[in-house]
Amino acid sequence: MVSREQLKKIYDETALLTDVLFLKEKISLEERDFLLSLLEMVIKEKNNDELLELLYKWMKENNKSELDEIIKATALAIDFEDEKSLKDNMQIIRELLASREAD
Amino acid sequence: MNLSLEKKIPEDYLFDLESERRVLSAILHSEDACIEAYNLLLASDFYSPRHATVFELACSLFERETNPTVVELLKEGHSLGVFTNPRDIEELKYIVEHYIEDENVGYWIQRVKQKSKLRYFEAFLRKTHQLITEEQNDDVEEILMTAEEELSKLTALEIDDRIDTPADIANLGYDEVERRFLRYKEIKELHKGVIPLDGLPTGFDNLNHITLGYKAGDLIILGAQTGHGKTSFALHTARAVAVDNKKNILYLNTEMSREQIALRWGSILSGIEHDRVRSGDINETELSVILNGYSQLRESGFYSYPCPNLTPEKTISIARKFKVQKNIDMMIVDYIGRMDKVDPKLQEWQILEQIVKTQKMLAQNLKIVVMCLVQLNPDGSLQGAKRMKNECDLMLKLSPIPKEELEENEELRKYLDPNYYIYIDKNRDGRSGVRIPINFDLQKQIMKDAERHSS
Repeated sequence: MVSREQLKKIYDETALLTDVLFLKEKISLEERDFLLSLLEMVIKEKNNDELLELLYKWMKENNKSELDEIIKATALAIDFEDEKSLKDNMQIIRELLASREAD
Repeated sequence: MNLSLEKKIPEDYLFDLESERRVLSAILHSEDACIEAYNLLLASDFYSPRHATVFELACSLFERETNPTVVELLKEGHSLGVFTNPRDIEELKYIVEHYIEDENVGYWIQRVKQKSKLRYFEAFLRKTHQLITEEQNDDVEEILMTAEEELSKLTALEIDDRIDTPADIANLGYDEVERRFLRYKEIKELHKGVIPLDGLPTGFDNLNHITLGYKAGDLIILGAQTGHGKTSFALHTARAVAVDNKKNILYLNTEMSREQIALRWGSILSGIEHDRVRSGDINETELSVILNGYSQLRESGFYSYPCPNLTPEKTISIARKFKVQKNIDMMIVDYIGRMDKVDPKLQEWQILEQIVKTQKMLAQNLKIVVMCLVQLNPDGSLQGAKRMKNECDLMLKLSPIPKEELEENEELRKYLDPNYYIYIDKNRDGRSGVRIPINFDLQKQIMKDAERHSS
């Protein structure tokens, strides 16, 4: 079981590391914002298991194909504050992953 | 003799970066710590300019109702161009590593505050030293007066402590009289004799007339026996203030769930019996009336905070937060007998006295009205009543009118439907010892002034 202090530590370090990657131009502003929002979502215990599962599935076989890039762009377009945006973009990702599997 | 101040004071005596980091780390990890630091510190209390900036960013987020977490701080910092270099993030990393337990934040805030005062004092000494050595000012009285003024700023307990000079009092007095003179003129000319309120509406015309409304800084105590309408009175007040007058109000309830509070509003705003609203025994027309009632609530300034384990400290923290973020004009605590005991060794009356004192201080500091609901003993008396009475500005008691009195009292016969009294036990600004007859429809949860017979 992770203690509250350990959780805080993981959260802080992940957030700061993400930001450093952005400042070192390793990731874009959109990528940074997406990762920070995802982190906030997980830590605030608003766990969206389905989204995490979709992202995990995508990352597992991500070979930067054109389809993978479209999935990535779709994920980055998610507005985490907007339930509809989250739902709609998840549906698109789900469909894109299905067509990647079919290929 | 060497008078150089630089050589006398070790530099690190004037600041404490560790305390600053611990306070900032607490702000980024705990909302309670954030509320406390926001209320007690200024950016200028931080020695490190970087720390002052982080504090300002966090306060700015907090004012906009966003918890200043590390993620939010990073986003805000980037949008304002504060974090431009990985080294900035390194500093932030160092800050967040200084974890402290929430309950210790007060200690670290005091450390930061004390060092800030010390720096101010050092700057004062330096300035005075320069005045004597370089400018060689001969007016000793002036030097001493200036010094005294500066020093009194440092020794004052709180930032907002002040002493009124004779001129301050005279100006304040004249402004008040002028305001009342203009208002009286307005009453005569525009409102045809109806007195406008000085504060928030009470929800009862007769009570408004006697009190001129609940005023900012006032502590109001409303006592009633169990089941005699404490919560109904609280929600009736909330309706007058937040629904009818669109002022923001915070309602802290220690007993009821969110659902129970929401259902009560359905009855209050629709005039449909509470039992029927609760059971769903209503027709479609009534459902639409209830829906209309809730749309009034949606547009109102009513904020509810059900909190079964409320403590005096928690009320301070919650009230401060809502004052900053929602600019509340009033807070209702329903009810203080249910608050958790901070010190189990204290007697019941000591706890109540402590709570009431805290609430009065809160009302004055935040310039809001605080209404505390208390439970009366079965004989209508109140535990620790004398002490509570001393602290409050207005003490009201709500009780049913005994049947015999309804039949025998000539005065009550002039009214159509009285069944309850609001008794004004204390009124700092006006008449007390007055009983106001009202009508309380328990089923519909509605209170109103008792109507007089038209003849």
